[in-house]
Amino acid sequence: MGFRVGVDVGGSFTDFAILDESDQSVRTLKVLSRPDEPGAEVLLGLRTIEQEYRISPRDITYFTHGTTVGVNTVIQRNGTKLALFTTPNFEDVLELARLKIPEIHNLLSGRPEPLISRDRVFPIRERMAADGTIIEAVDRESVETALQAALDAGCEAAVISLLHSYRNPAHELEVKSIVSELKPGFPIFSSSEIWPIIREYERTITATISGYVQPKVKHYLDRFEEALKELGVVPKPRITRSNGGVMSVTQAKNECVQMILSGTASGVIGASYIAKACGYGKVMSFDVGGTSADVAVILDGQPQYGVGELIGEFQIYIPSVSVSSIGQGGGSIAWLDDLGILKVGPDSAGSRPGPACFGRGGERPTLTDAFTACGFVGHSELGYNAVSVDRSLAEKAISTLSEPLGLSVQEAAEQIIRIAVSGMYTDTSGLVSRFGVDPRDFYFLAFGGAGPMTACFLAREFNMKGVIVPPTPGVLSALGGLIADLKSDFIYTLYDDLRPGIEDALRSALASIETRAKRWLFEEQDFEGTPTISCSADMRYRGQSFEVETPIEPAWIERGDLTAIANAFHDRHRALFDHHDVESPVQIISLKLVISGATPKPIIVEQVARPGTPSAEVHVPVFMGGTEVPVPLYRRADLSCGDTFSGPAIIAQDDCTTCVPEEFDIAVDSFSNLIITLRR
Amino acid sequence: MAISGLNLQILINHCAAAADAMAFTLLKTAHSTFIKETEDFSCTILSADGHAIASPHSFGAPWYSGMDYSPALELIPTYEPGDICITNDPYSGNVATHTPDMHIWKPVFYQGELACFVAGHIHNTDVGGAVPASLSRSLTEIVQEGIRISPVKIVKAGVLNEEITEILRRNVRLPDQNWGDFKAQLASVNIGERRMLEVIERFGLEDFRAGADAILDYGHAQARKVIGTIPNGEYRFDDYADEDGASGNPCRIALTLRVFDDSVELDYTGSDPQVSSSLNMPTGGLERHPLAVVGLTYVLATLDRQIELNSGTLRAVRAILPSGTVVNCEAPAAVGMRSLTCLVTQSATFGAFARAVPDRLPASAAGGISIVNVKTFDRHSTPIMASLGPVGGGGGGMPTADGAEGCGGYAAFLRNTPVEIIEVEVPIRMQRYGLWPDTAGPGRYRGGLASVMEFKVTSPNTIVTARNRDRSVFAPWGVMGGRAGATSVFLKNPGAENEQSLGNIDFIDCGPDDVIRIVGPGAGGYGDPFTREPDLVLRDVRCGFVSVENARIQYGVAIAANAVDLAATAVLRGEHRPSPANRFFDLGEHRDAFEAVWTEARYDFLTTFLATVPTIWRQFLKDKLFAAVAEGRFADRGIEEQMGLLRTELVEQFPFIREAA
Repeated sequence: MGFRVGVDVGGSFTDFAILDESDQSVRTLKVLSRPDEPGAEVLLGLRTIEQEYRISPRDITYFTHGTTVGVNTVIQRNGTKLALFTTPNFEDVLELARLKIPEIHNLLSGRPEPLISRDRVFPIRERMAADGTIIEAVDRESVETALQAALDAGCEAAVISLLHSYRNPAHELEVKSIVSELKPGFPIFSSSEIWPIIREYERTITATISGYVQPKVKHYLDRFEEALKELGVVPKPRITRSNGGVMSVTQAKNECVQMILSGTASGVIGASYIAKACGYGKVMSFDVGGTSADVAVILDGQPQYGVGELIGEFQIYIPSVSVSSIGQGGGSIAWLDDLGILKVGPDSAGSRPGPACFGRGGERPTLTDAFTACGFVGHSELGYNAVSVDRSLAEKAISTLSEPLGLSVQEAAEQIIRIAVSGMYTDTSGLVSRFGVDPRDFYFLAFGGAGPMTACFLAREFNMKGVIVPPTPGVLSALGGLIADLKSDFIYTLYDDLRPGIEDALRSALASIETRAKRWLFEEQDFEGTPTISCSADMRYRGQSFEVETPIEPAWIERGDLTAIANAFHDRHRALFDHHDVESPVQIISLKLVISGATPKPIIVEQVARPGTPSAEVHVPVFMGGTEVPVPLYRRADLSCGDTFSGPAIIAQDDCTTCVPEEFDIAVDSFSNLIITLRR
Repeated sequence: MAISGLNLQILINHCAAAADAMAFTLLKTAHSTFIKETEDFSCTILSADGHAIASPHSFGAPWYSGMDYSPALELIPTYEPGDICITNDPYSGNVATHTPDMHIWKPVFYQGELACFVAGHIHNTDVGGAVPASLSRSLTEIVQEGIRISPVKIVKAGVLNEEITEILRRNVRLPDQNWGDFKAQLASVNIGERRMLEVIERFGLEDFRAGADAILDYGHAQARKVIGTIPNGEYRFDDYADEDGASGNPCRIALTLRVFDDSVELDYTGSDPQVSSSLNMPTGGLERHPLAVVGLTYVLATLDRQIELNSGTLRAVRAILPSGTVVNCEAPAAVGMRSLTCLVTQSATFGAFARAVPDRLPASAAGGISIVNVKTFDRHSTPIMASLGPVGGGGGGMPTADGAEGCGGYAAFLRNTPVEIIEVEVPIRMQRYGLWPDTAGPGRYRGGLASVMEFKVTSPNTIVTARNRDRSVFAPWGVMGGRAGATSVFLKNPGAENEQSLGNIDFIDCGPDDVIRIVGPGAGGYGDPFTREPDLVLRDVRCGFVSVENARIQYGVAIAANAVDLAATAVLRGEHRPSPANRFFDLGEHRDAFEAVWTEARYDFLTTFLATVPTIWRQFLKDKLFAAVAEGRFADRGIEEQMGLLRTELVEQFPFIREAA
């Protein structure tokens, strides 16, 4: 018996969740992140855990880790110097991307600068046809020339992305082997190995990002492993990944693109786990940090998955937990435009300098300052003593706006909250529309430093059921990583009509990815147990430009039941778009397989709920609805399962503050969640 | 909740959320590829009197954000709850701008009172008429462009008028697709209505109405503030479509921009007469018609990235659109390809504003984006039609940066089709897709390069079409000493014995092994290229964007052994450098030569004369005059006398025009 530890390094804080295997209970810790010295915060945290909880690193039996090293490398553009090898006459793939420029109305806007400049793109003479047959074999001399040119240009690694390699990877593999022979040890990433999807830009950028961050990520993970070893942690860490699962540290060092969004994905996994364990079927996770709010739809404990998540200025196309990022967070800055209209965001004070009230040099008023000035926040330390809140600094910052507006500081602060919430409303509304869900059936599951602070206000806008605040909202990402399963996605691109005659091709495609999947789970990840395998196909009606991912049964493929596959697609299409067309020919673009191996989960112990009414520690003056009213302040630790009370209320705890307006009732459920219900 | 500066942003956010919900509903449920691929649709929240107060933020067609629906709304005498109206007729209400655009609107009643409208449009793939997809430059009257529905209640108090829908279905080529798109539009306005009722419930009817006015006032105030930073004055800029679609002669858009403190006037007087092709813009002469002022929308959004784009924003502008010209055609002129002309009006607008605020706007984007389609056959002789995507050129050089490569400026909303998708779907072999070197207009900051697409046809009876072909003749202009970009080149079988230059031809018959290459135009440069950082020139050479030779000729930078030869560069850029362009604009060789003949005075004569003749004669007489000038008739006289003699000849030959006048 020992302890299982999950660590998530975020922009501001590093969160720890510790699962005690003897009783399946969870403990948490938060320390300040150290962007200047990645890894230092984890060591500090483990030492603190040893001191505070008497848990020796030697007693750690399982360790998961999520880090932003990869995504920061892209955002800060300090990755490795890459070369790109392409099919001749198609070298501009990264320059052109998919053409569309994000700001469509601004004549002075452009596409982001490519991660590999055009002078480091070199042609390889070869050509593959769309059906995977070879038109022109790989010309060895051109590989030699390209490699030499790349080395001359100072490139430290190369990406190969040749046309139609999703269909037949032979040319990419051949180029890779020639390069390894000519220059052993030179890192080379082939697009078909990283994620073999059709569409050359999408495949190339995904491979490019993977290669771009690799040396930094590898270096970080090497040091990290080393440090854990020094501390006496025995198990090798597992790394959380964008698809919500975990993988071995060895794989993470090679396939970096898989771990690039691990932090946000882990949060959603943590939220899904809570939703499922506690029996809440329709939930949207609401993770608000300093600069943004991440929202994800969770149905019956299952997050939604998709491709095209944004990494810095680029999208990547590996399967990831679907999260929409909204550009409003606790650090969003309030300002007045030239015409005296009050605005909030998109600029953010981020985690540095952060809100003015954190006293770390921020001077411009932020959303957190507005909550502080109104009296909602600042009644206890935040972030496990990592940050303290100074209300006078918040008021000073807001006075720069309230004075020109002719308002009191508190009036201006309340207005800032309203405007920020309406901005969140607009963006979240887009997400709600995209997923076709009715928010009135949903709860927010609020976490992150600023989630519980703002969630009720936004839930009120949507007329939602209410808000759930889990017992440890500050460390849900760490918990998510801790409980994540070993999980990996595999794809086989077919691109054919779903027509009689392709049964064998489907069977062999399935067999091929199933073999690879099992090898991954049992041999590479050392999993013992029964895997879960699920299958899906990306399909569309011929002529459509978007595929619909349709879950299918492997048995249909085995017995060649094309009708069942087609019907599954028609049904899925109708469910999503309200119509389908049984007459139209159906195309199957790719077959996908997800394999997962379950890891132990904490038992969230259901307590006996005893009806009760907690007594407020104190009443604090809060400015709401244009006037100051006394609002009861509760300590989260003092609340017990079964307690019920009504808003307005403030619930303070170590890692966040929950703000509840008047129209809500609060109950503590038998899992110690706050269930805050909108009276309607 | 009374609306003030404190909560206006809240109302704006809620209305934008309603418009977003409409757009998502449309995208999810529509059938046409136009909607899904090129996002050729709009969704709009309108005030009770028809002014756009909100549209989706980052998608949909960028032209219609400031739409004024009132002329169409007023053609329906009364509204009651549950009504839904449609029109696609460019000549009733001037809301639809060509027949494939089906506009729809629904009144929103709150407690029995009309509170606002929700509206939108989509581009149907086909609405019948002479050609598939209903659009061709060669069509000469609107009735050839498909069925037209003047504003009508398609749903009356919740009851669908199936007689109208049946007529619609009977007159189009893909009735099921149109029907699917129509249902998507119904779903979209119904969502919009529901969401707006929630907004009105929240704010109260009176305050919502006041708020809608406040949103428009705010847009207006923002626009006034931006315009206030532009020096007062009159700024003239003309631009040309290479061909007017009927004769091979150019089509001129003349624009005089007048800035008076906080308002602007876009005076199109002097623009060419309406043409007998389908390049006409059906603006109805409306002062703020989107086709006439979309260039201004771009300029305002560029000068102030925070600006709200609504009808109020456009209150600051007034366009003057003489009747019977290409910018305000009279029925029954065809209008299907008005987009080509509209792009020229945008380019003219950017040029006029560049004169006024040269340090805040870029040189000309490439424009001339060809939308390439192919119709061919697979090995089973099954016909295949597919879009190969847009081929154009980059954004104009900017005051502090190079233009976007390959596609940019006012074409920034377009997406391409992946090469791998094309090759899987269409039996052609792609030979090249990328950027074409030495096409960018040189400048301190150069224009974006042209893109190139080259492919080999495999089947007989293949047809390649390239809609919106332009900029093969007139180049994208440079500013502030920056040079014009290269013109577009369209070749069949490049480099072979039977090479053929296709110019602006937009319909090509091909057979097996024929190769088609389209090189778009390059965008104009900004600032003197001889002041460009040599390291940037070196980077361009290393990237293959600029040849060593052009580095020397165009930029005065000597590159040797993959490095800048500083000494040689100093010589090239020294006292013997070629004299810099001393004009504000560099318009390209062709335009300089053309305008040496077709001077301002000659054009004045042409447009004044044609304005006096019946509309139907204008194209005919324009062609006659161009031919006579090209032949050199009376060329030994001064321009005024020559043109006078030509006019006299024409009037004598066709006495009808004098009598009609």
